[in-house]
Amino acid sequence: MHMDRRPRPVSRTTRGDDSVEAPSSTALLARMLQFGDSMFPIGGFSFSCGLESAIQKGVVADAITLRAFTRTAVEQAARGDGIALIAAHRAATVDDVDALIRIDAQVYARKLSDEARLMSVRMGKKFTEMGVEVIGAPLLATWRKCIAMSVTPGCYPVALAISFAVQNLSARQAFVVHQNGVAATILGAALRLLRISHIETQKILYELNGLADEAYEHAAAARLSDMAGYAPLAEILAAVHSKAHVRLFMS
Amino acid sequence: MIPAPSTPWSRAEELGACLPELAAFQDEPLQMKSGTVGKTGFLRLGFEHRGNQTILQDLERRAPYMVQRALYCDPEMPGLACVFLITTTGCLLQGDRLALDIKLGPRAQAHVTTQSATKIHAMDANYAAQTQSITLADDAYLEFLPDPVIPHRQARFVGDTQISVAPSATLLFSEIVQPGRKHHHPDECFGATVISIATSAARPDGGGLFTEKLLIEPQRYAMRQAGVMDSFDVFANVILCTPKNKADRVYERVEADVDLAEGVAFGACRLPNDAGLIYKILGRETAQVKAKLREFWGVVRREITGAGLPPPFLWR
Repeated sequence: MHMDRRPRPVSRTTRGDDSVEAPSSTALLARMLQFGDSMFPIGGFSFSCGLESAIQKGVVADAITLRAFTRTAVEQAARGDGIALIAAHRAATVDDVDALIRIDAQVYARKLSDEARLMSVRMGKKFTEMGVEVIGAPLLATWRKCIAMSVTPGCYPVALAISFAVQNLSARQAFVVHQNGVAATILGAALRLLRISHIETQKILYELNGLADEAYEHAAAARLSDMAGYAPLAEILAAVHSKAHVRLFMS
Repeated sequence: MIPAPSTPWSRAEELGACLPELAAFQDEPLQMKSGTVGKTGFLRLGFEHRGNQTILQDLERRAPYMVQRALYCDPEMPGLACVFLITTTGCLLQGDRLALDIKLGPRAQAHVTTQSATKIHAMDANYAAQTQSITLADDAYLEFLPDPVIPHRQARFVGDTQISVAPSATLLFSEIVQPGRKHHHPDECFGATVISIATSAARPDGGGLFTEKLLIEPQRYAMRQAGVMDSFDVFANVILCTPKNKADRVYERVEADVDLAEGVAFGACRLPNDAGLIYKILGRETAQVKAKLREFWGVVRREITGAGLPPPFLWR
């Protein structure tokens, strides 16, 4: 079954339309900034996505290697979670909770490291709870209930997609926020782990955010089963981190 | 959804038709067309536990896939049915479609490997596809450890493995991917165009366990990037499906490290839904990767069956 092909109700076309280029009002822009903020309190700051191990093992040592490592993470997110995020946004736009549950299971089944799973479900749950309190949309309340009753694991990209869809924020905006969040999490950790300046991390973030548009076009055209990736060293670093005795970050 | 298969190999024939990574390679070879006799191989292996050994009860084959018979050549596990997969063409060519179906009945124990590395030849039309279906009944034990895959320049390969594993059964399944014949030609280190390897596992009742799709496209995504291959050349992906208590014991014994100076990196993670472990190895050379894989295999075999490993083959 392809929910992508499901026709959208006419009354909703102005809502999560993928083709919306920018928020149609300052209120939407402000909401995107609020929910896309890397300091949004969902605990992202406690994860380094393998950077802590990468630095310990000498894989990342300076701005050049940090940029490459971050780029890998951003590309993996675009080719994997990003596709699910767009699918979830489409499902949330038509209030299809069953589809959201199926998408969520697919995201979870692809999180092959314990730490990646922990990060995704923890941030997903907090994002959903925050959405219920702050936005208060019925779909978010339903989703929180599904998570609380273990009907669904509640991965982060799905939570992000729902929160954006119920606020009339587009899939493209959710995707960009997700991409930016992956980079910002690693770069934020880098500031605490590496001798690196804010100028250097901001330059990396600026450059990587420039890739988001093309990455979105690819992800939006893909089916859920096309979620793929290839970052074996990053995955081994996650395994190294799980085994490490002294850890500052949770991943 | 793909319609119900008309032949046991129709999934292999249909696999590449709708994948975006192969959309540009749907043209037919000027030589033999895809899917013709001699290009579509099929192999069904059915293992059953009988007395104190496992027999190869069911064997169906279609060239270029071939198996002769089960051997009992492992001194540490005398009842283990060992099978060497043979492809009579000796490599994968454009338009090849291979389907492998392995089934283990309750308590059956088998070791399946290849007789040599699998070369995937350079392609100027179409692609090669391989489907694998692995079904393990209660308390079955399968070691499926084929030799490395060597993708040549401009190779396009898609593989899809579907695993059905009973909660009490154990599957150890490895795939080693070389960068190509890196000493043969400078272009051949990561010279393949598409290597797409998907694996998904479920319980016999259909409950999903995990899914992984590795998509290697060196022209689209930089292979030497930190986090991808960095300075490493050879990659092994090792999946261990086993009950949680056994997986925990293996996990405790398996180290994780990245050693850039030695040129080797490895580590295990726990799979979702208590499916078992996934162990990944990177090495500068194939021998390093094989050595780590053998180490892991030794731990798994000891923890699951209590047996040790046979002495290494002299020529492998």
